[in-house]
Amino acid sequence: MEEFFQQFANGLAVGGIYALIALGYTMVYGVLKLINFAHGDLFTIGAYLGLTVLAALGLTEFYGAVIGVLLVAVMIMGMLAAIGAVLDRAAYRPLRESPRLSAVVSALGASIFLQNLVMLIYGARFQVYPLDILPSTSISLFQVDIPVVKVVVLAASILLMAVLYLFVQRTRIGTAIRAAAIDQGAARLMGIDVNRVILIVFLIGPALGGVAGLMVGLLYGQINFTMGWTYGLKAFTAAILGGIGNIPGAMVGGLLLGVIEALGAAYISIAWKDAIAFCVLIAILIVRPTGLLGERVAEKI
Amino acid sequence: MKNRNAILFILFSAGLATLPPFLNAYWVDVLNSIGIYAILGLSLNLIVGHTGLFNLGHAAFFAIGAYTAAILNTTFGIPILWLLPVSALAAGLFAAVVARPIVHLRGDYLCIVTIGVGEIVRIALVNDIFGITGGANGIFDISRPSVFGLIIRTPYEFFYLIWFFLGVTIVLFHFLENSRFGRALNYLREDEVAAEGSGIPTARYKLGVFALGAAWAGMVGLIFASKMTIIAPESFSFWESVLMFTLIILGGAGSIPGVLLGAALIVGIPEVFRDLANARMLVFGAAMVVMMIFRTEGIIPQRPRVYRIEAIPGEERP
Amino acid sequence: MKRVALFAVGLLLVASTAMAAGPIKIGLMAPLTGAWASEGQEMKQVLELLSADLNARGGLLGQKVEVITEDDGGDPKTAALAAQRLTTKGVAAVIGTYGSSVTEASQNIYNESRIIQIANGSTAVRLSEKGLKYFFRTCPRDDEQGRVAAQTIQKMKAKNVAILHDNTTYAKGLAAEAKALLKGVKIVFFDALTPGERDYTAILTKLKAAKPDVVFFTGYYPEAGLLLRQKMQMKWNVPFIGGDAQNNPDLIKIAGKEAANGFYFLSTPLPKDLPTKESKAFVDTYKKKYRNAPSSIYALLAGDGFRVITAAIKEKKSVDPDVLAAYLKKGFKDDRGLTGRIAFNAKGDRVGELYRVYKVDAKGNFILQK
Repeated sequence: MEEFFQQFANGLAVGGIYALIALGYTMVYGVLKLINFAHGDLFTIGAYLGLTVLAALGLTEFYGAVIGVLLVAVMIMGMLAAIGAVLDRAAYRPLRESPRLSAVVSALGASIFLQNLVMLIYGARFQVYPLDILPSTSISLFQVDIPVVKVVVLAASILLMAVLYLFVQRTRIGTAIRAAAIDQGAARLMGIDVNRVILIVFLIGPALGGVAGLMVGLLYGQINFTMGWTYGLKAFTAAILGGIGNIPGAMVGGLLLGVIEALGAAYISIAWKDAIAFCVLIAILIVRPTGLLGERVAEKI
Repeated sequence: MKNRNAILFILFSAGLATLPPFLNAYWVDVLNSIGIYAILGLSLNLIVGHTGLFNLGHAAFFAIGAYTAAILNTTFGIPILWLLPVSALAAGLFAAVVARPIVHLRGDYLCIVTIGVGEIVRIALVNDIFGITGGANGIFDISRPSVFGLIIRTPYEFFYLIWFFLGVTIVLFHFLENSRFGRALNYLREDEVAAEGSGIPTARYKLGVFALGAAWAGMVGLIFASKMTIIAPESFSFWESVLMFTLIILGGAGSIPGVLLGAALIVGIPEVFRDLANARMLVFGAAMVVMMIFRTEGIIPQRPRVYRIEAIPGEERP
Repeated sequence: MKRVALFAVGLLLVASTAMAAGPIKIGLMAPLTGAWASEGQEMKQVLELLSADLNARGGLLGQKVEVITEDDGGDPKTAALAAQRLTTKGVAAVIGTYGSSVTEASQNIYNESRIIQIANGSTAVRLSEKGLKYFFRTCPRDDEQGRVAAQTIQKMKAKNVAILHDNTTYAKGLAAEAKALLKGVKIVFFDALTPGERDYTAILTKLKAAKPDVVFFTGYYPEAGLLLRQKMQMKWNVPFIGGDAQNNPDLIKIAGKEAANGFYFLSTPLPKDLPTKESKAFVDTYKKKYRNAPSSIYALLAGDGFRVITAAIKEKKSVDPDVLAAYLKKGFKDDRGLTGRIAFNAKGDRVGELYRVYKVDAKGNFILQK
């Protein structure tokens, strides 16, 4: 039983990262109905830029770990938001009126481009974050060992999700985002500047992905240029699992996927872990075709 | 119109057939690779281009065809080309079974499920499922195909085998496109509800097209296996599905010449930029974005069907 | 249009190969893109350094040596194309490549074109069991490493052993060889992780529950580094042993010195532990040119492949593959390899005592165990 809770905790920690990346997927998808395959690579860029900023500015030595990391996180979010806006302008905006699958291919191309760009700039070797930034203490809860940093990461993911949720539900811009998500044409007729809404979405989504990259770097230390592909696919799975386009859904999907993987590895087989996760996903989609929290969309007749 | 297409096709084939003696083995092998991707692309085109089903797991069917042929060939010594129908059947059946519960899923949900199926198949192969797939090692010593006693070995010989198969595929798929079945698929893509309302059994048609596309990919798997003589799970990764999908959209979904051109680009661009060494995939990614922006419907999109009013019998012209 | 262009390029290529008479060309097939790009790019650097050095000393048989590199992307299909392309470039021999299944996809192509291939990272046993005349490798085979691994584990007097691999050809092969050879110990755990991930706590938790005395991980250094680091974070003190794919200074960077302390791995000797002045000089010039020491053992093994083939060409004054292959299999000996003594048997496999045991000390240095 003790092992079960330990594995459950392990799964939640991994799931928190998936959830954070999945939030970015879901934001963009909600409005544009576009699977932004380059999202995983924005996550990679976040991890690399985080390393560069940490090394170049030495903020953590100056202000201490907590404030230093927060400052770096804010800077990374800013940079990634800018990159996201450029990416949208260059690769997605020209394809707004064209068939959806064309935009998917453009996203795939952008993903390959960004991944190789990172490789050419930073080199193909693994890069490593400084080891001693975050404290390595862990708390014991009912004989389950949980490192404090992982709790913090999970809490940060949940906090970001809550903020995002309130932003979308309660603010004027949030209302505009929701309107554009439901019907862009109608939103435009209501006086909403849809292009601005899309721009905002492309600022928020990549910023979240970038901060997730920074967290992975801080947590696990080792980063490399192909990491976005794996994490991106996992996060996309998580977003679909929860119901893509739905913010709490991304959170639920991410955490659930992490837990399924950990428990699958623990009680069935490590080597089959990913296959087990996909089987569960398929089973869930057969029962609930739009994911756990996805809304049932009435087909127009 | 019809005759012109046929003449063009024959001229084009004849031109291609005389090409290999002028090329070295490397470029012939590049053409072989193009041919293989073209057939894979055409088979996926039925599902994605014609029916509008978002399938990003086509490599699974390709893998099942290849492994079926490889396993039967290496354990029982059955000549590889005899296994063509077996490979097709295995891949087609697998697709029909897998697709049954999932074809009703909407666009992107179907996409992730097909990705999932592709990954499950790959992981199963890596983990040596049933002890017959050889795990990460894959299967080796697959025999070369032999046609009328001639063993096909060099890239030059494979060129004729692959492009002959491609030619047959083009002709068959051309007729399929214009058949009742093909037109129904297009209708399904444009408006599923209306298609259902017009009496098209949509679920059955979707299953059918999945099985047909998969069976075709399975046969390409067999050719691929016999050409490489070794197959390993990494040849059937998610990346392969992405390539097949990309080449269709890039070339023009639903259009046979589009898919052919897409295959040439997807194989050709990384080869042409080989001299850039580690920057070649960067160019490849950028080229994908640029081509999509300038030709949003693909380079050679599907042509709208034109029906001449006079052709309808029994009706007065206004 | 496309075809016309292809046709023209093809003609040009045919014309250019027909005129090949200038320098002696050595091919390198390596993963310059894809997941193993870091290894491949270093192989390229090592070969460029060695060939520049050779040319500065007057070249080979009075001619310059030129290295022609082709990217295999770490993928069998791309490798087959890369191999075809190299065969059209008039190369005397090809060095490479890394993964076993990738090498396998190219073996027949080289053999049928009568080109000597010296693989540098492909350790699967069967590659040299096919009786191919022109195939060699500077890396030892999985069974050799498995034997040394089993010996080392048995020397540690461990009763319960856990074996973890990553489902790649190399790691699974090594794990299976070691498992078969381990006598008198209990294998309490045998499973594979998924390479390329970051969080291995679920696997470590499961491993810990199996209560092994020692864990033998046969995969690559990125995962090994993470396992060591996360193992320390779990406060679990169990000795880890790794295979030669973990011989990379980046392992220490990823794991951190504290976590890597006491980690054992098997490897062919490192240049710094070899007594010859060639290996020392090589490390020095490499450091000077690329600002850090070579990190990948497979890049050094590629360098040895280059040294072997150029030495053979020099000795036999010929680039004829039959002459060279016969000489390499019988009569060739090199005491000054970057990874120790080099000689080949009739199958083209490297012979001799190859593996040493290394231990990581508290400062993160790799210390050769006697």
